[in-house]
Amino acid sequence: MMMLNQILAIAQKDLKIFLKDPGALVLMFLQPLMFIVVMSYALASLFEPGEERIQLLAVNEDHGHQAAAILRQLDALDAFQGETAWQGQPLTRAAAEQLIVDGQRNLAIIFPPNFSRALEQDLATAQPITARILLIADPATPAQLTEPLLGTLRGLIERRLFTAMIPKGLDFVFAQLSPQTPAEQRQNFKAQAEQAVSNSLLGGDKPLVEVERITPAGMRVEQLPNTFQQNVPGYTIYGIFWIVSLLASSVLQERREGTFRRMLTAPLSRAVMLIGKLTPYYLINLAQLAIMLGASSLLFGMSLGYSPIGLIVVSLIAAASATGLGVLIAAIAHTEAQVGGLTILLLLTMSALGGCFVPRFLMPEWLRTLGLLTPQAWALEAYQDLLVRGYGLLEVLPKVGALAAFALAFFGIGVWRFRFE
Amino acid sequence: MIEINGLVKRYGDRLAVDHLSCSVRAGEVFGLLGPNGAGKTTTISILATLLPFDEGEVTIGGYDLRREAERVKPLIGLVPQELALYPTLSAWDNLAFFGRIYGLRGSRLRERIAAVLDLVGLRDRAGDAVRTFSGGMKRRLNLAAGLIHQPRVLFLDEPTVGVDPQSRNFIFEHVARLKAEGVSIIYTTHYMEEAERLCDRVAIMDAGRILALGTVKELLDLLGGGVIYAGLDAEALEALLPHVRSLPRVKAASLQDGRLKIEAHEVRTALLELIELSNAQHLPLRSLAVLEPNLESVFLHLTGKRLRD
Repeated sequence: MMMLNQILAIAQKDLKIFLKDPGALVLMFLQPLMFIVVMSYALASLFEPGEERIQLLAVNEDHGHQAAAILRQLDALDAFQGETAWQGQPLTRAAAEQLIVDGQRNLAIIFPPNFSRALEQDLATAQPITARILLIADPATPAQLTEPLLGTLRGLIERRLFTAMIPKGLDFVFAQLSPQTPAEQRQNFKAQAEQAVSNSLLGGDKPLVEVERITPAGMRVEQLPNTFQQNVPGYTIYGIFWIVSLLASSVLQERREGTFRRMLTAPLSRAVMLIGKLTPYYLINLAQLAIMLGASSLLFGMSLGYSPIGLIVVSLIAAASATGLGVLIAAIAHTEAQVGGLTILLLLTMSALGGCFVPRFLMPEWLRTLGLLTPQAWALEAYQDLLVRGYGLLEVLPKVGALAAFALAFFGIGVWRFRFE
Repeated sequence: MIEINGLVKRYGDRLAVDHLSCSVRAGEVFGLLGPNGAGKTTTISILATLLPFDEGEVTIGGYDLRREAERVKPLIGLVPQELALYPTLSAWDNLAFFGRIYGLRGSRLRERIAAVLDLVGLRDRAGDAVRTFSGGMKRRLNLAAGLIHQPRVLFLDEPTVGVDPQSRNFIFEHVARLKAEGVSIIYTTHYMEEAERLCDRVAIMDAGRILALGTVKELLDLLGGGVIYAGLDAEALEALLPHVRSLPRVKAASLQDGRLKIEAHEVRTALLELIELSNAQHLPLRSLAVLEPNLESVFLHLTGKRLRD
């Protein structure tokens, strides 16, 4: 009985300590809860078809009805949501490409004017009509998404071809056959008909309809991005923001140990103290970026894009926003527990919202908008512009501006609220 | 070296330092003695330019603390209560850092580091991380960091808290050496023995005010030969009081907290006289307490509280 009481006393004491520690509560409950909410919404389109459908711009230039039929079938699959108009206007290829360039959408499908004619052409024609469907995709769109879409499209097209071509083939055969036709010649005609249908359906030497993935006009992409270009920016940005924890803990330690107090008695200004304190953390951030991007380039052959100056500018500003967030947390947190709780809660939530773990275009519209309130989203977009979309400094300047605004806001509030003692 | 006139520091409605005035001469060890919360650390924080003050005037080395704090800073050194050091850095690196923020560089910096490490007896541990040091060694390094730039005024805020006797003696010896070199030292403590041993003059503080200021001898004289507290029955107290006042060795007598408080010129003789008187008057003593003349009893005499309360 005595032993049980002792066990209970120890357990009760530890529970009390745990419940009085806000950092531990955040770490154990709020952090996983936030992560569950954000990631579940972010990944809803992949796991629950129909719940959050992937938006697909559809430009239908087809003069017949075959493209419309494919779009209806695509819609009926519940995985994709075709958008044939934008703000009340029918979509054109130029408008669709611009929407991808602007980052509003990631995918567009263009049906050419002769699509129905290619499917419905007479098999006896000497010059077969061929059509090319274009899938315009933001290069930042992962292959896990584009490849299933291409497969789906090819399947639907083959089905349309099959239903359009079989009657044509039979017509061809029956037109050629007559009771007077010798058996040998009849076999010949049948073989020709089979060859014609097979070529159309299965590709043959030159398929009548091709689907090609391209990138929007204005993006300089010589080859589609590999896994490193897709993943390195997101995880690198996730990594650099952990400087928040390092910086805030160090500030707290200086306050607790009294070293700030000792420095304050020396002939140096508070501004000098703060700049001196922040500089190494900013440099650590820059070193992180240089090592992550450099190692990915040297070891794994990841392309660093075409704008070294753009990469430098984005890195300088991204590091500033991460260090700035560190100052802010250091200013508002009073205990190690608060630093731990705030850091984990903020960084995981912001990184998830910013698209570091899951591409933002897979998220519902409201979550995408919410993501714009994180520096991670702007930093990721800027890096993807440079590394994946082949843009230069000028094109990323608006994103650099947004990142700089975050850095200024973090530093401004952080320095205002900063206490050395 | 330090002149303080009417210094006031408020935290909201609370007076942390209440019209404090005193001066400290060059080469003087000036003790601030008082319990926790007396205002010692607040006073030191103001003098060390860490805290603004609300009223009064302070000059250090002839510079006005309010207007010329930047000129005051190179003159002062602070050895705070807490171990204000970087535990993962070596002793040398800690001193190099604090030296550099005072503008020391190159060979001058190296000379100063070596000198203060010698002073505190840590030369052979210069390269070791501070976290591997004992509590006493850390205290000595804490002192060395406050001396790296050769300040003319040194604030030692409870420098012996948690220190082993050997390191405590070490610190005492260095305080004496610094005093001999002409450094003015303000030394806060709630250990009366330290104040008695080290300080030329002592200010006894309570609730932000200086209750008494003088040499240790002058303060002990406030108490005379000592104080006797005698417990008697309530009626007996009133009856005995006039007789006690007439005793030749008694300086003053009063009732305090249900006891008879007797300030004596010569405490042992007065005690014998008191016992004889109570026997003669048939007013038996229920309890007796004798306060020998020391700073602790002076503080108790002045405030009715113990230093460690």
